[in-house]
Amino acid sequence: MVSPISSIAVLLGSAFLVGLFKKTSYSFAQMLSLLAIAFPLFVSAQWLIHFIGTSDGAVMLYTAGAKPPFSVSLQIGMAEAFLTLAVNLLGLLSIIYLMKPFKELGVKALALLLILVMGLNVIILSRDIFNIFVFLEIASIALVGLILLGKRKHTYSAGFKYLIAVAIISSFLLVGIAFVYYFGSTLNIDDFVAQNLIVTKGLSTALFLLFIAVLLELKPFPANGWALDLYEAAHPGVGALISGGTATASLYVLYKILPMGADYWSDVLIWVGLISFLGSNILGISQKNANRLLGYSSIGQIGLLVAVIGFSDQLGSHFEAIFFSLFISHFLAKVGLFWLSGWVGKTELTAWSILRTKPWLLLVFGIFLFTLIGFPPFPSFFGKWQLIVDLASEHGFNWIVIILAGSLFEGIYLFRWLGYAIKGEKSTENKPLLDWQTALPIGLFALLIIGAGYVSNQWMPNGQSINLIPVFFILALFVLDFLPAWIKNTISIAGLVVYGYLLYPELSDDTLRLVFAVIFLGGGILTLIAGYSVKGKRAGFFPFALMMFAGLIGLVEADNLLQFFFAWELMTLGSYVLIIRGKRSMLHAYNYMLFSLGGAYLIFMGMAMATAGQSGISLEILRTTAFPGWTYALMAIGFLTKTAALGFHIWLPGAHAEAESDVSPMVSGILLKGGVFGLIVLFLAMGGEQAQANPLVYVLGWLGAITALIGNLIAVFQEDAKKLLAYSSIGNLGYVLFALAFMSNIGWMTAITYSLNHFLFKTLLFLAIGGVVLRVKTHNMHEMGGLIKQMPLSFIAVLIGIITLAGIPPLSGYAGKWLFYNAVIAQGWYFQGAIVFFAGTIAFLYCFKLIYAVFLGQPKDKFRQVKEAPVWYIIPQIILIIGIMVFSARPDLILKPVGELLSGSAYFPTDPLNWESVTASTNLGYWSGYKIMLVIGVMFMVLLGWLLLMSRKAQKIKQFDIVYAGETPFTPGTTHFSHNMFAPLYRAIGFLTLPMITQSWNRVNSTVHDFADSARKIYSGNGQSYLVQILAYVVIVYLILF
Amino acid sequence: MINFNSLNIETVSMGIGVILFVLGVWGIVSQKNIIKIIISFTIVDTSIHLILVSIGYIRGKSAPIIDAAINKENAANEVVDPLPQALVLTAIVIGLGITALMLSYALRMYKENKSLDINKFKALKW
Amino acid sequence: MDIVKKIGFVLLGLFIVLNWGLLMAGIMRKIIARVSMRRGIKIFQPYINLIKNYSIRSQLTHGIMFYLGPVFRLSGGVGIFLFMPMIYGSDIWNNFSFTGDLILIAYFMFFGMLGMALGAGEGGHPYSAIGISRGLAQFTAIELPLTLAILSIAIQYQSLSITEIVAAQQGSILNWTLFTNPLATGAAMISFLGAMGHSPFNVVMAPQENPVGPPTEYHGTFLGVLQTNRAILHVVEAVLYMNLFFGGANNWIELIVKTFFIYFWSVFVGMVFPRFRVDQSIPWLLKLPVLIGVAAIIVFIV
Repeated sequence: MVSPISSIAVLLGSAFLVGLFKKTSYSFAQMLSLLAIAFPLFVSAQWLIHFIGTSDGAVMLYTAGAKPPFSVSLQIGMAEAFLTLAVNLLGLLSIIYLMKPFKELGVKALALLLILVMGLNVIILSRDIFNIFVFLEIASIALVGLILLGKRKHTYSAGFKYLIAVAIISSFLLVGIAFVYYFGSTLNIDDFVAQNLIVTKGLSTALFLLFIAVLLELKPFPANGWALDLYEAAHPGVGALISGGTATASLYVLYKILPMGADYWSDVLIWVGLISFLGSNILGISQKNANRLLGYSSIGQIGLLVAVIGFSDQLGSHFEAIFFSLFISHFLAKVGLFWLSGWVGKTELTAWSILRTKPWLLLVFGIFLFTLIGFPPFPSFFGKWQLIVDLASEHGFNWIVIILAGSLFEGIYLFRWLGYAIKGEKSTENKPLLDWQTALPIGLFALLIIGAGYVSNQWMPNGQSINLIPVFFILALFVLDFLPAWIKNTISIAGLVVYGYLLYPELSDDTLRLVFAVIFLGGGILTLIAGYSVKGKRAGFFPFALMMFAGLIGLVEADNLLQFFFAWELMTLGSYVLIIRGKRSMLHAYNYMLFSLGGAYLIFMGMAMATAGQSGISLEILRTTAFPGWTYALMAIGFLTKTAALGFHIWLPGAHAEAESDVSPMVSGILLKGGVFGLIVLFLAMGGEQAQANPLVYVLGWLGAITALIGNLIAVFQEDAKKLLAYSSIGNLGYVLFALAFMSNIGWMTAITYSLNHFLFKTLLFLAIGGVVLRVKTHNMHEMGGLIKQMPLSFIAVLIGIITLAGIPPLSGYAGKWLFYNAVIAQGWYFQGAIVFFAGTIAFLYCFKLIYAVFLGQPKDKFRQVKEAPVWYIIPQIILIIGIMVFSARPDLILKPVGELLSGSAYFPTDPLNWESVTASTNLGYWSGYKIMLVIGVMFMVLLGWLLLMSRKAQKIKQFDIVYAGETPFTPGTTHFSHNMFAPLYRAIGFLTLPMITQSWNRVNSTVHDFADSARKIYSGNGQSYLVQILAYVVIVYLILF
Repeated sequence: MINFNSLNIETVSMGIGVILFVLGVWGIVSQKNIIKIIISFTIVDTSIHLILVSIGYIRGKSAPIIDAAINKENAANEVVDPLPQALVLTAIVIGLGITALMLSYALRMYKENKSLDINKFKALKW
Repeated sequence: MDIVKKIGFVLLGLFIVLNWGLLMAGIMRKIIARVSMRRGIKIFQPYINLIKNYSIRSQLTHGIMFYLGPVFRLSGGVGIFLFMPMIYGSDIWNNFSFTGDLILIAYFMFFGMLGMALGAGEGGHPYSAIGISRGLAQFTAIELPLTLAILSIAIQYQSLSITEIVAAQQGSILNWTLFTNPLATGAAMISFLGAMGHSPFNVVMAPQENPVGPPTEYHGTFLGVLQTNRAILHVVEAVLYMNLFFGGANNWIELIVKTFFIYFWSVFVGMVFPRFRVDQSIPWLLKLPVLIGVAAIIVFIV
């Protein structure tokens, strides 16, 4: 194997050599530099393969023919091989990326880059602190030289501020090293550790200087204004080198010297790192400049990595995997983002909508951002998971709160940014050219992230329990994205069908899960059928749709917490992208994501607390959690954000209403059930019937009831058909929450009936209304009217849908109502129950408004030519109607096995429901869906026949053959009564629908933003105040420590 | 009164080093002119060199140069610690490099803004 | 029981109810007229109207839903009859009440309302929709006291089966819910006022008093169907209240007497009180009647 010393030699030699070339032979110099960096890259790769293949320990390399302390020694092990590989790869790709600006600057720039890479290599390899200092300086000098590349304004002043700050920091470092040598007589790290030098007062001051200097190199918040200015001003290619290169090397230095310090240095690293992570991410919220924002994010991420190094004792054998996944995420994503910002060219976040001109770049941008936040299947997801689970086992809950809060704040600005890119105003300027020098490094890093995700997954404990087949299927769909939509649609449907077929044997015993699997997979297939009506490619739709469905079905399959959380986040990611595809969805998708993210972190926190002190991560451990109150409350709130309970509902109306016509049913009828399933898992963990006395359950019951009332009431006053349906979903999910909170056998039967019904009718209604909206191109009901003549099939679908929704016999909605009454009376929750029934009556109002304003009343002139909804919308509606009919006539087919399952389980042994063939009875009442259907059906047909017989000669008349206000109307506009239809009701109880919750969330939002905006004023732009901050930071940390 | 007889060279140079360090840092933070800031930095740099040298000094021993005066075999007992001196050499070179770089930045900043007042370079902030 | 025989008795029962309903309508008109110092119509006028409407030959229709509206409406009325046990202790007159309980009837009431609303809606006349929107809005408030009352008696009798509720009230007049649970009865009887569509809750019907409105837009056979339904519905709703609160009926005579008084409770109140606007009636209904309903439940919790 080639010694890494030779790669240093090669780099140094070629740097000198390159410097000798003239401008005329620049391309030769360029080639030489590429080769010069390719060589160490090869060396590192070789070592890395060696270490992975064997279980050898690290190898020590000695220089100058002597051993330490008389010479400098280098060490290469797995970590060094990997980090040098990363740095060298960054160097190689940087040369490619910077090819054009370098050409203008000539060979000097190439030489500087080679020197920088060499410096970084040595910093990583060396075991001698003075040697490390020298090469830190060399790397800094090379970097500052490269900064001169930036043609942006103010580059020089930013570089100068950086230079002074680094000079001061290195002074501390040097003094520290001097004292360490003075007291310890050695500069070799291993020697120092081996001698176990007594920690005298002086030595601890010396170590303090050493540590604080290395920490300051990592730009801890808030002593980091100098670095932020540089990130903003430097050429993005250089920003990438700082964030990915020097930070990597400095982090490793910190890791190397950590054993030198006593234990308390670990604590210092933890707090310094976590404060950086949280503080930097909070201040980033108000940032509008992309490069500066990347700086904030970079500092935050590095802070997290510093903290992870501090945690290395707690993490034990998991440390390497965790550090790897978090580090590689930061490294690849941040560097990739810097490179992307170079292509975008403009600094405002809003300018990133230019990415839309190159869809694959948009995808890559998404990958980078999702990686930073920690969504699956990207590496940081696994890292954060294991980190937090391990911290929980140490009862480090404060740390977890800080990490999750920081991640949430990071999400706030990153998703706003993503929103601008996907949906922001289109830039009118010409799009920049995309040359291969830019495309290659960015694309390569995106691919590496996916690879790293796989590695992290396999490396992490329990990671292999995750079923990756759906992920691979989704990846394949990304690859096939160039195909026309109908082919991809067919592939997607086939995928769901096959998956369902394979899954069925596994679930056939567990009816509860089976019901949800049917909702998720069956619903997926049905709603995808509607997608056949879309022409063209529909780029990027199918992978994310499948991602959502994969996540949902993953929830059903999950056996352990990791699988569950993986599926949960996958679902969130897929649904976010689906939602943001809507025309005016930017804000709504953003809100959705923030609530989902917050909810997910609460769930995560709850799960982590459950793992504390228990072995394994199976779902079972939720039952035996040592912190039942916290675990259950946190998880409950988390799931409630997804089911849009009152208080957490403000994202839903916009997200559902503005989504594309066939996406609305997916995210409404199907996605919401993910939250319901989460609640089911949680409530089962709480112990079924035994948990009835739990106050949390009682509170949730009330919350569900009030959600039902307010959701339905607001729906009544909507003028937008899809918003009406969306608010109705909030109300309906309130019923489900209420019924689940009964924690009784019959309560759960009710909840499952409701869930199934809501799936059936809401998917049906959204498909039908979606089909109408496709034709009339508006959501406003008062602009429609009289469409029954053009769209009779859609009308029938809506009619069936609202009868089911309203719970009118004989359709299956009534099954829910009947079970409900029984459950309420059995439980004794009369007042909550009365509120829910009141909500149920209110539902009639919007049901009527929906069908009347759209299909009945006066047809409008501009819609006289519209046709029936596309046939691909009609087909799934027919299937759903058949489903409703079957469920209405034979509810026992589903409810009986569910009931048996519930009463057979340990959770709900008390089964008050008896089945006698098709008749269900409790000790309160009885109900026979089949017979009711029969009686009503026969009666209806007889009466219809009677009327037909009596009025067979009825004459069809025209639209305006009516008399109104003393005259015959001649225009439909004045005659269609639909706007503000329930004005009297609004005057009576409309005050309940004032957007008080939205306002309070807005207030929270503006408070956070104002805080961030005023707090970031500490970065005054004055180089000297930055220095004062650095000095103050040193003094404060010193005072805290000693 | 200070007893000058009890003062020895390493204490003096260490003391002067620390004083210079503080002075230099004060200069960097308080001076407004960029050139003066750079000069303050060189003072800091020098102070560190002084501290380094004073650390390696052992009273009564000679410079770590093996020549006629110093016996090669007995060198370890006769010379001061050579390592800090080697470190100083390296540090001086690095300090020089950084000072040069700072000056070149100062030049460019002056060309850009026609000013050397550090307060005039606050465009990047927050 | 033989299904043919069952259907035969059901039809017979329906016939009785229809006739009683038409008669009550006539009596109601007569009483209202006399109170207003008028002579009033003949008692049998509703019969005449019905026959006239069914024999009108010219009919107009706005479309299929317009056509189906009356069918839905009549199905609603007849359906409630079918699911209602009419005479206590009689297998013959309990109709199809074995298929569902009180909840079924409570929710099946919406069937006819919805169909009617949609049918009238297709006519394209704004007054129809105005009337319906007012009616539905007020209806939500009317339902709430009734829901509370139903919950209260369900707690009281631990049953939702109408037959069982009636059975529990047998023996003495003091066993009637009216006396055992006066609060629930009070709440429900206020709700009944609203359900019957008399003053003070009849502004919903106001559009009818203009030249058009839901029922009057329908004509001829359609109107006949609606009138048929009205007659049936008024009786069966009264029967429902009778079963729940007034001890049910052991024979048809008892049924006729009791339903007469229950029905005319709403007529008499309507004669005395002026009507509410909808935005007045809703808050009113949500205050006192709801409080009474809540009290009716609290009594059983405490």
